[in-house]
Amino acid sequence: MFARALFVATLRQMLSIGRLVRFGLLALAPAAIYILSRPGSARERFDSFLGIGLGTFYVVAVPVITLIVAATALGDERRDGTLSFILLRPISRFRIAGAKIAAASLAAFVLTGFGALGLSLAFGVTAADTRFVVPMLVGTAIATVLYAAIFVPLGYLADRSTLIGLAFVFIWENGIAGALPALGVTSPWRLGYSAFVGLSPAEVLPRFDSFALANLQPGAGGALLRAAVIAAISVTVTAWMLRSRDTTA
Amino acid sequence: MDPTNNPALVPDATVAVERVSKWFGQKVAVSDVTCSFGPGMTGLLGPNGAGKTTLLRLIVGLLTPSEGATRILGDNARAAPEVYRHVGVVPEEDAVYTGMTARQYVEYAARLNGLEDVPGAASKAIDLVELSGDADRSIGGFSKGMRQRTKVAAGMVHEPRILILDEPLNGTDPVQRARLIAIFRRLGDAGHTVIVSSHVLQEVERMTDRVIAMVDGKLAAAGDISAIRRAMTDIPYRVRIDTDDARHLAASLTTEGLIDGVQVADKLLHVETGDLTLLGRRLPSLSRELGVRVTGFRPEDESLESVFRYLVRR
Repeated sequence: MFARALFVATLRQMLSIGRLVRFGLLALAPAAIYILSRPGSARERFDSFLGIGLGTFYVVAVPVITLIVAATALGDERRDGTLSFILLRPISRFRIAGAKIAAASLAAFVLTGFGALGLSLAFGVTAADTRFVVPMLVGTAIATVLYAAIFVPLGYLADRSTLIGLAFVFIWENGIAGALPALGVTSPWRLGYSAFVGLSPAEVLPRFDSFALANLQPGAGGALLRAAVIAAISVTVTAWMLRSRDTTA
Repeated sequence: MDPTNNPALVPDATVAVERVSKWFGQKVAVSDVTCSFGPGMTGLLGPNGAGKTTLLRLIVGLLTPSEGATRILGDNARAAPEVYRHVGVVPEEDAVYTGMTARQYVEYAARLNGLEDVPGAASKAIDLVELSGDADRSIGGFSKGMRQRTKVAAGMVHEPRILILDEPLNGTDPVQRARLIAIFRRLGDAGHTVIVSSHVLQEVERMTDRVIAMVDGKLAAAGDISAIRRAMTDIPYRVRIDTDDARHLAASLTTEGLIDGVQVADKLLHVETGDLTLLGRRLPSLSRELGVRVTGFRPEDESLESVFRYLVRR
């Protein structure tokens, strides 16, 4: 009951009307870019979907939206001084961390889900092929859980969590991990993308980008397992921090 | 800890502070404090920056002591959050969820405390602080006093055995203050442990006889407030009075011999008096007689600090 109340309240804070509009539009930008690229032939449509569409969605929209949403889950409570309101209740730190990370994951998924649906449906309508809708949603869900697992504790720890998060996404994931395929496993969007690829129709597999997959094998099972393990580690670490760090505001 | 010879200790302690120190880098916020609190009301008194808030945060487990230990009902709250079922805390900071209504805020506190009848408990707490008429308004539009009462309602919604209030009367008007004091006293009289911090001696004096006084992070005095007051008689109090006719009021206060010195600003008086209680009692009737509106009456930190420093030197 305690954790549910915390989960629901956090979800409400994160999914305000303003946020739904702002981030919903941002999430839909890749779909808009895909439509504006006016692909003509079937091959152009597919290349445009895989290239600029998925590229802007997985590499920019999902991490940026999840970063901004997840970093506020505990970060705003700490900065606004409302964290003590939660901590001074008969709830274990483990449950607090779990509720916050779960709420951040769901909120980020709701927001990025617009984009996943928008892009896959835009391709589906123009190419008369809706087989990518479910893979997009699953890949997006896995990526948002992974990002939330990283950005919720980061928001609690650091005042400049957005800046650090952006550095993680654009320097580490897209720079270093992109150059060294062995580090692909440290990239949440690549793990989400690997699930998307794994669930996509088999005949299109050869056309996916090797940079995006790095050394990851396409498949939803491995990505799901990794997401579950990382989320569990994140909950444990966040709970430990909530218990061991001073709350000064 | 043997409470028999130490006025800072009580025999039936529900909250214990054992040789606690807390420092932040080079700054020592609390230094080797030992005290305890039991059923009834205790005032934690000291000027701003004395370490009261830090001590309360140490007690409730928001901070870890650098040395020593704090216990609530025998447990370290930080390690055993279950103890919070019995603890209500009203923090000093104006930190509330401004997007919520007062009712939502208090109901959220009730849910997080695992109460069964959430709406019932919230309504009861809201009624208690006389906020029913505004309960469905957003806290973002509340005055400081209304926010304060909302926090008090949230702190008491689960009817805790131990209530810890950090400067709970900040921002409240005299009428609200009197009502809140009556509520706290009632809880104390009913056997709850009520700890109220304040930098205003007269506030604490209206609430309780037992006081723990802190200065510069140290325990300065403890025990019966009248004994502490007696030690302070040779020091004049500085009081700030907000009024719409400062000159008229200053002249009358001087004529009646209620004050020893006065500085007059536009709508503000800074007065010195040797008998603050008498001044506080006479001021409402005097302002009525003069047709003058008094909107604030507040002993100033400066004078209190000097009083506490005097206690430390003693």
